[in-house]
Amino acid sequence: MKNNGLTRRQAVVATGAALASPFLFNIARAEAATIKVGFPVPLTGPYGAEAQDQVRAAQVAIAEFNETGGLKGRRAELLVRDDKLNPGEAATRALELIESDKVDFIVGSLSASVQLAVNNVTKVRKVLYNSISQSDAINEAKEFSRYTFHEALNPHMTGGAVGRYAFSKYGKRVVFLSADYAYGHEMVRGFQAVGKAMGIETLADIRHPLGATDFSALLPRIQALKPDVLVISNFGRDQQIVLKQATDFGLKKSMKIVAPILLYTARIAAGAKAFEGVVGGTSYYWGLEKTIPSARAFNDRFRKMYNGRLPSDYGSLAYAGVKTFLMAARQVGTTDPEAVIPAMEALKYDYYKGPEYYRKCDHQAVQSVLIIESKNAPPGDPDVFNILAIDQLSEADLRSCQELGFH
Amino acid sequence: MLLGSATSVAPDTSERMRGFLSFAQRRRAWLAALFLILFPLVAPFKALAAMILIYGLYALGFNILFGYLGLLSFGHSALFGTGAYFCGIAITHFGLPWWAALALGVLGGVLAAAAIGALAIRTLGIYFAMVTLALSQCLYYLFYEATDWTGGENGLTGVNVKTINLFGFHLDFVNPIVHYYVIAAFVIVALFALSRILASPFGAVIEGVRESEARARASGIDVARVRFVTFVVSGAFCGLAGALLALHLSIVPIETMHYDTSGLAVMMCLLGGMGTFFGPFIGAAIFLLLENLVSLYTVHWQLIVGAAFIACVLFFPRGVWGTILQRSRT
Repeated sequence: MKNNGLTRRQAVVATGAALASPFLFNIARAEAATIKVGFPVPLTGPYGAEAQDQVRAAQVAIAEFNETGGLKGRRAELLVRDDKLNPGEAATRALELIESDKVDFIVGSLSASVQLAVNNVTKVRKVLYNSISQSDAINEAKEFSRYTFHEALNPHMTGGAVGRYAFSKYGKRVVFLSADYAYGHEMVRGFQAVGKAMGIETLADIRHPLGATDFSALLPRIQALKPDVLVISNFGRDQQIVLKQATDFGLKKSMKIVAPILLYTARIAAGAKAFEGVVGGTSYYWGLEKTIPSARAFNDRFRKMYNGRLPSDYGSLAYAGVKTFLMAARQVGTTDPEAVIPAMEALKYDYYKGPEYYRKCDHQAVQSVLIIESKNAPPGDPDVFNILAIDQLSEADLRSCQELGFH
Repeated sequence: MLLGSATSVAPDTSERMRGFLSFAQRRRAWLAALFLILFPLVAPFKALAAMILIYGLYALGFNILFGYLGLLSFGHSALFGTGAYFCGIAITHFGLPWWAALALGVLGGVLAAAAIGALAIRTLGIYFAMVTLALSQCLYYLFYEATDWTGGENGLTGVNVKTINLFGFHLDFVNPIVHYYVIAAFVIVALFALSRILASPFGAVIEGVRESEARARASGIDVARVRFVTFVVSGAFCGLAGALLALHLSIVPIETMHYDTSGLAVMMCLLGGMGTFFGPFIGAAIFLLLENLVSLYTVHWQLIVGAAFIACVLFFPRGVWGTILQRSRT
């Protein structure tokens, strides 16, 4: 009888190889005495472009730190992991970074649910984490961890700043159109919070399912309501589609379209026409360099490292998120969380966009929101937004510590 | 079962192999348990090893229905997810101890399976797949909308179990090694239970129904009831896997209920070998290891993982484990 399957030798070799390979990986990854910054971001999936820019900007912070002497000679290193925009994957990756790679800090995530997943892991294991994407929930006492900081804006801050600007400039009769999930709900809540104080009139609060491709049924209804302002709270492809259809339908002639967040990468990808004249908020736009020296320095460094490329809004958050930990650690001369936390809480910094600091009760970065308007720039021109205003927020513009459940 | 009790024809070199295979067949649960105990030694990191255990158990539960009974369900994420949510809600909302939460997770899987099964087993083939998919999506949106209970889009956070108290022992569940072996203990118990079920007369009946429904019916077997009970048994295993997932990640993401997760079970079973006892674990291990290791080195990991899957399908038509078993028998 001929044995046409695996011979024993083949089986032994294959088993040996299979057993040995993970050990090789472990050996290759083990390095001593460097400061390790774990960086889980969704490199693949719908936010891949933003995530890859976050990696670039984080590398800028690492390079600057190493060039200026590190921490008593200890160099920093970025450990990038793909979280696939999935909370379960992100939690597994965070566990890997903590248990196998023994990271000192974790910075990253690009969605509310993913950052909450990472936060939950780091909270229990007492590892420092800086979250760089928008979420209201992460500020709440229920989720709070003294090991977690939130460098990004949150929907309450963004919606509030854009609302204050838009309702005072363009009128008080408002229609809301938002994606029916946490992001849309939190944004509308942010707009309503300032709107109530300003006495706006909500004509309609329309929700559309996530991933909608046809808004044509909603547009005549919105036009018939004759609002001054149409607030569109959705993201990515949904935003591109609805703005294109609204432009084609002619809504822009009779009302001002406002979006809480205008993304640099999305605007570049979609082109000028759909976004033209739309007003929104952002945490950072490179054009800030005309007035703010730290923005100039950050952009120049970024351009130098990446052949003239410009940093995006979410990318810049990664720069600040990594840099604050490294600077705080350098200040206290150690990466021990118990020493770094008070240093982070005391930090007053201006790394790329003007003054910032972390509020004591929820570790939210108090910072400015830029109000920007998309302009009709020719394709290839990186100067796509006008900065209309810089809203330097104070703690009074954030949800109060009591409201968040802190006592 | 692909591993039949081989009877030797002539005393040749494959005699020893046959002897080993029949030993392996009789002691399959012991061998599988041994593998799980040694597995963390070779896994890249403990959290991934635990994920492989949990998804392996989930695929194992799915395999009862798919491999042994021959019904392709596209709704198993609902059973897995309900188990996870029941366990998570028991801990976060009611502050129940971990063992009660696990039991509720199994119950969740059973209830979801009973609800979906009662409706779906009236259909067969592609209709069965579609009905289970539709019903699981109903459950998905039910959990998605019940934000106060499940956290909705943000997921259920704070499913934190820090110590496991058992017979006076206090185990540190945050310690990665302890964490793995606690999960492994439950998976091993499940493996023995499944092995027992499959070896019982009921196990033979399940396979009988798969091979020929008409003959099974002619032998006096209530085919509809066998299908329903098998679905519920499958739900219990998937519910346990879901509950372990909630304890492992200390969150329950809404993605757990998504139909992608149903597809994952199909994928893992096909990759490892449907209808084999240990195949689903092999499938889960290959899938998760490939994904995790390749994505460390390139953002184009999907390309490489995809090519590896195509290779598996071409060279291992019965799944990796199934093909190895088949070849070693000839």
